[in-house]
Amino acid sequence: MKAKDLWLRFRAVAFRWTVERELQDELAFHLEMQTRKNVGAGLPEAEARRQARVRFGPKPLIEDQCRDARGIGLLETLCQDMRYAFRSFRRAPTFAMTVIGTIALGLGLNAAFFTLFDAYVLRPLAVRDPYSLYSFTWMDEARRYHSFTWPEYQQFRSDNHVFSEVFAVRKQLMTRIDGHPAYGELVTGEYFRMLGVEAVMGRTLSDDDASTPGQEAVVVLSHAFWQRYFGADPFIIGKKILIRGYPCEVIGVLRDGFAGLDVLPHDFWAPLTLSPQLEDGADVFGPDHPNRLDIVGRLKPGVTRKSAQTLLTAWAQRLTAGRRDGDKAVGVLLESRATSIALSPLMLLLFAPIFAAFALVMVIACANVANMMLARGLARQREIGIRLSLGAAQSRVVRQLLTESALLAVPAAAAGFVISQTAVELSVRALFATMPAEYAEYIRFVPLLSDVRVVAFMLAAAAGSAVLFGLAPALETTRPGLVQAARGDFLYNVRPARPRNVLVVIQITASVCLLICAGLLLRGSNRFRDIDSGLRTRDVIEIYVRERTRARVLPALGSVPVVRGIGAVSSVPLDATAPRISVTARAGAVPVSVAYRFASPEFFAVFDVPLRAGRLFTQAESQTGGAVAILSQTAARRLWPNGGGVGEALMMAADSRTAGGTKIQRYSRVEVVGVAGDIATGYGESQSDKTAIYVPASSRDAGTVLVARVSGETEAARRAIDAALTAVDPGAVDHIHRMQELVVGRVYPLRVAYWLSAMVGGLALILTISGIYGLLACVVAERRKEMGIRMALGATASAVTGLVLKQSLRLAAPGLAIGALMAVGASRVLASRLIMLNTFDPGAYAWGMLLVLIACLAAAWVPAVRATRIDPVGRLRQD
Amino acid sequence: MTRPAALDLLQGTLDLLILRTLQAGPLHGWAVAERIEQISQDVLQVNQGSLYPALHRLEHRGWISAEWGVSELGRRARFYRLTVAGRKQLDTEAADWERLSAAINRVLRMA
Repeated sequence: MKAKDLWLRFRAVAFRWTVERELQDELAFHLEMQTRKNVGAGLPEAEARRQARVRFGPKPLIEDQCRDARGIGLLETLCQDMRYAFRSFRRAPTFAMTVIGTIALGLGLNAAFFTLFDAYVLRPLAVRDPYSLYSFTWMDEARRYHSFTWPEYQQFRSDNHVFSEVFAVRKQLMTRIDGHPAYGELVTGEYFRMLGVEAVMGRTLSDDDASTPGQEAVVVLSHAFWQRYFGADPFIIGKKILIRGYPCEVIGVLRDGFAGLDVLPHDFWAPLTLSPQLEDGADVFGPDHPNRLDIVGRLKPGVTRKSAQTLLTAWAQRLTAGRRDGDKAVGVLLESRATSIALSPLMLLLFAPIFAAFALVMVIACANVANMMLARGLARQREIGIRLSLGAAQSRVVRQLLTESALLAVPAAAAGFVISQTAVELSVRALFATMPAEYAEYIRFVPLLSDVRVVAFMLAAAAGSAVLFGLAPALETTRPGLVQAARGDFLYNVRPARPRNVLVVIQITASVCLLICAGLLLRGSNRFRDIDSGLRTRDVIEIYVRERTRARVLPALGSVPVVRGIGAVSSVPLDATAPRISVTARAGAVPVSVAYRFASPEFFAVFDVPLRAGRLFTQAESQTGGAVAILSQTAARRLWPNGGGVGEALMMAADSRTAGGTKIQRYSRVEVVGVAGDIATGYGESQSDKTAIYVPASSRDAGTVLVARVSGETEAARRAIDAALTAVDPGAVDHIHRMQELVVGRVYPLRVAYWLSAMVGGLALILTISGIYGLLACVVAERRKEMGIRMALGATASAVTGLVLKQSLRLAAPGLAIGALMAVGASRVLASRLIMLNTFDPGAYAWGMLLVLIACLAAAWVPAVRATRIDPVGRLRQD
Repeated sequence: MTRPAALDLLQGTLDLLILRTLQAGPLHGWAVAERIEQISQDVLQVNQGSLYPALHRLEHRGWISAEWGVSELGRRARFYRLTVAGRKQLDTEAADWERLSAAINRVLRMA
């Protein structure tokens, strides 16, 4: 019955002419029949027709009553409102476009962020029943999480009452395949069966592949990796590829969309039994029992997360019962593996500020639009007032105004969706395009797609914003007093302007602050790029070799024709942060914290680090690790402020920042034999970054990284070295990088910070423009009468324009001042932490403030011009 | 024209009469009016002005349905037919009317 009613109503709206015609036909038929009857009773034709009409009654009234019987439907009103709204938008296209643009920007930004959030936190992994998968580790007293050893995993499998299925995995094994970095997982045989992941080509790993160590080496590739590095080779199955130099047969390519259970998408999967061949360090299956395995299981049906937690904690406590106190289990971490990043309260807490920031942008956008709507509402007050006093219900008028808001929100949502897609795609592309090429190979993202959740979010946000920016102005403008309206005075005082002003000032402040920071970051990063690190980087290459090949690789490296010199150092400056140790010049003195590096004598030559005093290490010292040291200039000056140092003795003691069990602890007293130039390694210019100490090592020592000075083109030299070493042993090289890439890479975060700051600042500026525009449009609408009087009394157009522009400047002044102050604060924080920024860079401040000032005036221009078009006579007569 | 006070009763009654008339089979609007007048021996004069709004209202409630057909004189006419819901409605309304008229009769006779 309801459906029937709706259908008839819909029909009445959609086919209104058909329905009208049917009504006419029906009534005409009735009159025709009545006339016939009258003629049959003996009346002449004309009289019969007249009497039929008299009997029938007034036809237009009856037609109306029939229409009423159909009821004025929701749909009909809606269509009416929509037609009305479209007409009014056509009259004010700038208004409509501004509203749509502002909301689209806010929605787009939010949707872009939500796409990211969705891809990592909400989208379930493409595996069978992802929501029952949990990873499990145990936690000791110091809240450190522990992975498992092979025997512990075996024991867990036999004791387990919690999971219906379980596998062990060695995650994020960083390797090179044919010279390209690749991330792999070593897994037990249950992995693919349990996850329900199939191969599109070949097969996945089975229990047989992973039953005994040392059996035939096989590997499964991810779809993306297969496409990217093997050009989607259809004959890949059965081919052998070298993983860290070890030949493995490709037995399958997985279906698209699966890349492991982690934040970092993986490229290949090999049986855990290959661990001895593919990993350095203690053998997983050997007597040392290294704890490198993670356990992932599927909760048994009926086992709740809470009871699983209790059972697993009890198990872990039993497992560690015999260990010393610090190594006992006090709890377990049971983490859902349904999504890349488990959705936990902590995760939400981390995301909350970002969500709040984005929501704030949306609210500000809505508030700006609400101002514009209010301004428009005020301009239409006469119309609305008349409608209300003629008996239209307030709810009816509010509904019409809300329909207008909704109609603006729909195209805004569509545009916002496009903006978000473009923003996500462009950001990722820009990130890869601008990143140093050798870095880009290491970066992986999960696919950032917009799925049904993103669309739903978009629609909900659009609907929410329509209510947010539409409801308040609609209620505000439909509430004139009846008495006033009866007098013909449809204007009334709107709420005080202060909150609206504050909102706009906040926006101006934020854009000023962000744009100044962007300027500071840009100039800072330029300065940083040009700074002299004290190292010669342009023709130096760093090479991480696999320890077991070091002895064979060294002679080969020496014989590569382009290599001019080879040094070795425990942590390469600009690449790795050197560990620190405390040194004192004499007993009782305040210890000085210095960064220490083991370095071969050639290290100084390769990097052109000048010797300021004394000598370098001798070959004998470098071979035997003699108790001598070279200090950096700054370190020497801090230890002996009056100069000197060479020939003095130095006490070394481990401090809180020295890792335990390292080789440096063998040294307690060293003789300073030389002082070398400073090198800048951190992001700052502070003294502590330049205090360094070098102790002798040789390129044969395990744990040192080789650095080579080359001649000719550096990239060609890098390839030549890579090829020469790979020829000695296919798995010899773990990483090989040009130092220049590291230098660029070091400036890169600053660049990204600059771009982010500039983009967010630009966005804030656009919102600010819309905010000022909305506010001033409102003000002009409110002050029509006053301005009309001014003009009637002889004020010129430029005087009226000036009035509006002055209002804009009055908002801009506090915004500019506070924003600049905040920028000083923000840049001080940044400068103190990591970056060599000049907090008082006048250029950056001048540009930032000028840009915002121009924007403020530009935004005020349209309302200002509109103010001059007020017709004084018409205004005065009207009010 | 009828006085406003009587209109309510009349309207409700007209609905009942229309439903009852259509029980015999589909009819167009004019025929409904004719039939009521014939059967009531012209005691009940259907106000033709309120007939059509009533028909449309009943259609919206789903008690009758309308479709275009050809009249006995070969002209296109809109025929109304009682629906299943309408039949039920007729039963309740007829029962209500019986009770009401019986009650009124009793009052008239015995008060």
